[in-house]
Amino acid sequence: MNPYESHPARILEVRDLTPREKLFTLRFLDEDLNERFTFRPGQFVIVDVPGFGEFPISLCSPPTRSPIQLCIRKAGRMTKFIHKMKEGDVVGIRGPYGNGFPMEKMEGSNLVLVAGGLGMAPLRSVLWYAIDTGKYEHVWLFYGTKAYEDILFRDEIIHLLKHGSAMGCTVKLAYEVESPSCIYLEQGFSDRVCRGVVTDLFRGEEFDVNRAYALICGPPVMYRFVIRELLDRKLSPGRIYMTLERRMRCGVGKCGHCVVGTSVSMKYICQDGPVFTYWDALSTRGLI
Amino acid sequence: MRYIKLPSENFGKFFKSLEAWGSVYAPVKRGGIYSFQEVHDPAEIALDYNRTMLPPKKFFFRPKEAILRLKNGHWEENLEAEPTVLFGLHSCDIHGLKILDRVYLDEPADPYYKSRREKTLVIGISCMPDEYCFCKSLGTHFAMDGFDLFLHELPDGWLVRIGSVRGHEIVWENGELFEEVTDEDLANFKEFEERRANSFQKELPQEGLADMLDLAYNSPVWKKYADICLACGNCNMVCPTCRCYEVCDRWVDAYSAVRERRYDSCFMENHGLVAGGHNFRPTRLDRFRHRYYCKSYFDPSSGYNCVGCGRCDEFCPAKIEHVKVLDEIRGSLE
Ligand SMILES: Cc1cc2nc3c(=O)[nH]c(=O)nc-3n(C[C@H](O)[C@H](O)[C@H](O)COP(=O)(O)OP(=O)(O)OC[C@H]3O[C@@H](n4cnc5c(N)ncnc54)[C@H](O)[C@@H]3O)c2cc1C
Ligand code: SF4
Ligand code: SF4
Ligand code: FES
Repeated sequence: MNPYESHPARILEVRDLTPREKLFTLRFLDEDLNERFTFRPGQFVIVDVPGFGEFPISLCSPPTRSPIQLCIRKAGRMTKFIHKMKEGDVVGIRGPYGNGFPMEKMEGSNLVLVAGGLGMAPLRSVLWYAIDTGKYEHVWLFYGTKAYEDILFRDEIIHLLKHGSAMGCTVKLAYEVESPSCIYLEQGFSDRVCRGVVTDLFRGEEFDVNRAYALICGPPVMYRFVIRELLDRKLSPGRIYMTLERRMRCGVGKCGHCVVGTSVSMKYICQDGPVFTYWDALSTRGLI
Repeated sequence: MRYIKLPSENFGKFFKSLEAWGSVYAPVKRGGIYSFQEVHDPAEIALDYNRTMLPPKKFFFRPKEAILRLKNGHWEENLEAEPTVLFGLHSCDIHGLKILDRVYLDEPADPYYKSRREKTLVIGISCMPDEYCFCKSLGTHFAMDGFDLFLHELPDGWLVRIGSVRGHEIVWENGELFEEVTDEDLANFKEFEERRANSFQKELPQEGLADMLDLAYNSPVWKKYADICLACGNCNMVCPTCRCYEVCDRWVDAYSAVRERRYDSCFMENHGLVAGGHNFRPTRLDRFRHRYYCKSYFDPSSGYNCVGCGRCDEFCPAKIEHVKVLDEIRGSLE
């Protein structure tokens, strides 16, 4: 099989998540492939719109559920094009690519998921994987968003605000722009919804740093603040995982676009990542 | 390794015999510049060339090529490798191919590169360094593998090293053209290699190179050179180990499209650009430094990503010299 060739997949459903993001539910035309296809949370696929181009997108559904789902933001030429596509249309998918989060290694531990904006997409895969398998002691989700309209998977988030504790999961939400809907949410869940930034959500939460892993995904500026917060709590750099983004063409370590680092340490985000530990960031310049 | 001798008077016949294998490409001189071109008459070959402008990578990883064709809604791959003979590669370029191999043959292998590599016979030839060469300091001035045959110049012919089964086959099929190697030939071979080793004018001290560069991340020398660099990307195009590519879909007519890839350069501003306009290497300084880091990265399995061929120096319009930049960076630390 040519590694650059994608597998046709049908769009089963398109759902508006926000004015900018849509959720695409996809199923491969090849039934065997639907059976075979599996991945780790944190991995991504390359979406192919033949004749227009390809772009990398994280798998946002958990591997415990099928069909697969992708949350795609309208960011430019190609993503605008796919936003116009409808149920029944066919796109190409190749992958999964990248290393993903080390889910087996983290079994039995606490997971602290820290998501900013679109960073919610790959972490949703972790969240539902953890809930579905029940292999993790407790899961925190700290989710920072701009405004009420920008909350990705809003129904799920509100559902987990209400019923999360029964599933071993604490969801907390920070928003920046005030609105009646946010104030209403804040009244309902005063201990878990607040106006502020994602690091504000750490307040009042205790977790045993020797039994916890932090998984971060968000805009580049967020990493510094979140990592400082975690290090202040004495979480080991080896327990801090983050997923990173770079321009990608091939996804398989050939095209050179995602290469970062210096003469002592060079990494391919597509193959060595996109998930890295904070140790990796300390030893590879330009990673974050 | 097996060594045999090709006497001068048999060179022409040997060269013609290669046509049985495939189209033969060899260095020729055109308008002051050497390049690999299809050759039918051995007299056309510039046997004593210094370096071609584009390295042999162009045979395996094309400047521009269609990788997939969209027909009736389906992708078809565009594999069309022809049997080819690359005659007259210098040792540094053979090392350059080995570095590309590590990238393109690593799983999942690039099918285009792989099929061309498999269908191409590589014949090396010895050379004398000019003022740009610094392969000796990188250990790429002699190839131990990565070729089928390697021809070393002797006063009355060529000492041939056989590097592969295919190389053996060619020698076997043309047995009457070759002779056994004599002690005198070996002495001549040794003398040539010694003379060559002493002819290098440029040296890249590689001791601690990778660490030194990393420590000098903020050295003002980067800025000094980034300011005179034109960001033309020539150095990337001519480098035997640069292999970044960009991909673009193009409609041929209303029903068919091609997915093309072409050489890309890390000097281009959009190389590190992602959605929303964020750029991970926003300044020319970032991009200039990145290229040096990439070239000086040391991989335990294949060495540096630079083989010291001197192309980037010879073809840089701003006359920036690779070794000089690295020397000054080192100097700025002391
Ligand atoms: C590992 C990974 C996971 C991602 N996951 C998601 C996700 O779950 N949801 C989502 O909405 N977006 C995700 N992105 C970002 C997404 O790939 C870009 O938004 C998308 O490529 C923009 O394409 P465009 O043609 O619409 O934009 P344009 O700005 O028109 O881009 C032009 C070209 O640049 C390249 N490009 C632009 N931005 C990026 C980028 N950020 N990363 C890589 N290549 C880029 C694209 O290949 C594109 O063809 C992810 C990126 C990476 C690297
Ligand atoms: S060839 Fe010279 S001027 Fe052009 S990008 Fe390279 S270093 Fe800069
Ligand atoms: S960096 Fe310059 S000298 Fe080194 S291999 Fe590339 S072109 Fe040749
Ligand atoms: S995306 Fe091509 S090398 Fe990583």
